[in-house]
Amino acid sequence: MPHVVTDACTACRYTECVAICPVDCFHAADDRLYIDPDGCIDCAACVPVCPVKAIVDAFDLATGSEELIALNRQRSRELPVIDGKSAPLPTAEARRQSLNP
Amino acid sequence: MTRTLAHDATVLGACPHDCPDTCSMLVKVAQGKVTGVQGNPAHPFTKGRLCAKTSHYQERVYHPERLLYPMRRSGPKGSGAFERISWDEALATIGERWRAIIEADGPTAILPYSYLGTQGIVNGLTVGDPFFNKLGATISERTFCDSGASTAYVMTVGPTPGMDPESLAHSRFIILWACNVLSTNAHLWPFIDQARKNGAKLVVIDPVRTGTTAMADLHLRPRPGTDAALALAMIHVIIREGLVDRDYVDRHTIGFDELSAHVAPYTPEFAAAETGIDAGIIWSLARDYASAQPSAIRIGVAIERSAGGGQVVRAIACLPALVGAWRRPGGGLLQLPLWAFPVRWDHLHRADLATPGTRVINQWKLGAALTGGLKLDPPIRALFVYNSNPLVVAPDQLRLKEGLAREGLFTVVSEQFITDTARYADLLLPATTQVEQDDLMFSWGHLYLTLNRQAVVPQGEAISNAELFRRLAAVMGFDDPFFQRSDDTILRESLDWDAPTMQGISMERLEKQGYARLNLPAADVYAPHAEGGFPTPSGMVEMKASMAAGGNFVLPTFRQGSHEHQSGTPVPALPTYTPPRESGIREAVPGARHPLAMMSPKSHSFLNSTYANHRRQLARDREQRLYMHPLDAEARGIRSDDLVRVKNDRGAFVAVAKVGDEAMPGVVVAPMGYWIAGSRAQATPAALNPTALGDLGGAPTFSDNAVEVERA
Repeated sequence: MPHVVTDACTACRYTECVAICPVDCFHAADDRLYIDPDGCIDCAACVPVCPVKAIVDAFDLATGSEELIALNRQRSRELPVIDGKSAPLPTAEARRQSLNP
Repeated sequence: MTRTLAHDATVLGACPHDCPDTCSMLVKVAQGKVTGVQGNPAHPFTKGRLCAKTSHYQERVYHPERLLYPMRRSGPKGSGAFERISWDEALATIGERWRAIIEADGPTAILPYSYLGTQGIVNGLTVGDPFFNKLGATISERTFCDSGASTAYVMTVGPTPGMDPESLAHSRFIILWACNVLSTNAHLWPFIDQARKNGAKLVVIDPVRTGTTAMADLHLRPRPGTDAALALAMIHVIIREGLVDRDYVDRHTIGFDELSAHVAPYTPEFAAAETGIDAGIIWSLARDYASAQPSAIRIGVAIERSAGGGQVVRAIACLPALVGAWRRPGGGLLQLPLWAFPVRWDHLHRADLATPGTRVINQWKLGAALTGGLKLDPPIRALFVYNSNPLVVAPDQLRLKEGLAREGLFTVVSEQFITDTARYADLLLPATTQVEQDDLMFSWGHLYLTLNRQAVVPQGEAISNAELFRRLAAVMGFDDPFFQRSDDTILRESLDWDAPTMQGISMERLEKQGYARLNLPAADVYAPHAEGGFPTPSGMVEMKASMAAGGNFVLPTFRQGSHEHQSGTPVPALPTYTPPRESGIREAVPGARHPLAMMSPKSHSFLNSTYANHRRQLARDREQRLYMHPLDAEARGIRSDDLVRVKNDRGAFVAVAKVGDEAMPGVVVAPMGYWIAGSRAQATPAALNPTALGDLGGAPTFSDNAVEVERA
């Protein structure tokens, strides 16, 4: 199953994942990122580089994997590809600490 | 040398699989167990990425179905019933049985069967060769993958590494030919992507619609097995339109005049009729390929899988020289950079230990070899399988099952799991995974050596392949110390460390860094054949191949180092088009019993059958599917998700139909790797695959396969 971005990304939007993704499958909203599950090749490179562990293999989700894949797919269709690193959101550090990943 | 394993550590590893990418891996160990793996971010080619197969390698190591102990069969062959025995008993049994067979029928009654289940220098392709050569067993001709293409390539440009894969970033025009990069060579993609972002055009030639073809500026879909017509028509256009780099051709090729005359009939219109691709597109493809320099062609291993699959590569290997693509970094042909590594093949195979005249059996013929089809004298009485799962990868599955079920056949299988093949074993031997062994990896997809250090103690009583052959040598009384060399000695002795490409590379550096690029110029300046220097008999690109005079052959690399008993069948010296044997348009006549062509490409999440017993990978690739074009589905009353039976005279399997444009009209696509044990009708696509070999190098013809499909 593809990798997906979870809600942990919201208010962070670190982009280490974008820099390492070989297939440019991240799409950016103002507040967070999404993975195009149809473009993801499951290389898993983005998982360890995310400072808030926001990316998971949908296979590892106990529940809600189909919904999360559908959300990532839907938002990826609506949003532009982000293919370069950018600064995290101003709220990122506070959010990261609250998540205590 | 014994190394102490750290209880908690990050260990430098390397992916063991039969893939061009050979990733450098970081293996995380906590309390003596592997907790996870990730790509090594420092590696310049694999760059911290793994893939859908290996990203959770620990799940393979600790899989509940791992084979952990030697086992003896306790039920009928194929039943999967086994009982645990000791290593001593297993080895003693092998020794007794083999000695009895050798006494009665001679050592050639024993057949080794292996390939690249693990592909390291220590435990991979050649690990059993010295042992079986010394034993005098029948020699295995292992033409599983790229052997046909390699024969063709070597005949044309010699055993050159060709262009640096990383230099693709500097290409202006890239053709990916029979290569689903995003699934089977994914770490090459970023270099292609860089070229695209610099304005390069990407053409993908593949009958199947894949993730890779979706990225292309132009996706061309030739009918399976007609690619040589396309390549020859490209040559035709390049010559006819005056797009030839005359200076390069004059200085660095032979046979141009003969080739020019030879390709006159191979017009784009001819190729259009064969391939189904519009003639105008073929014209413009050839013009664009010639004009946009540097231009690159990456051929995938699938290119050889039809009757004329070798000559396809002969034709393609002429193209870069014709247009002078080799002149600059980012230009040329990428096939098998393996040849860059200064491997001491003679030392790995030890063909000098073989008994002169020993017979050779091509491994695609295993079903026939075990069932009397090859009229062997003596017949095969013992089979030793390691690094391979022939029941899923070899053709003619029903016949192979019949052969493996033979009561008189003594079969030993070394494995990590009880695979479909292993179920037929008399004895099972447990093999280590990569984190439980040491190895040093060359690559057939990049120019780095990658070290794999053992991270944890083996599960159960699993042993590495190298250790297996040390034990077998002791059992068979081989007292030459060569057979008791340590893993570190093997890996040190298997490379020529004094070669220019090894300058600056030491074990110390590999231990520290995990990898090292061969001592070659950087990819942005490296143009290995800018001034010719091809390792052919003439030193030129041999458009007219002098090696054709000796007839067809398989490189000794793929046959335990043996030069004997080569086929020698005549080979045309100029690249020629041979239409598909089974699946050509000529067969698709009204009333044909098997009007569809079947291809069985690699699945995204499996490596052949490896990982097809993992829940994670099955969650993505689910069960056996058959992709069909809507026209073919409608004509048979088939809808998506219907169960269908795919059949020909060799066998049948059942799949879930997926109707869409993944398959082109007249072609059905059955991704391979699924296990027979989990299949709906105890068969997989290999049941339909032909045993006929292609025109060069013993290549299989799995994309040259006529079938019919019906609702199940």
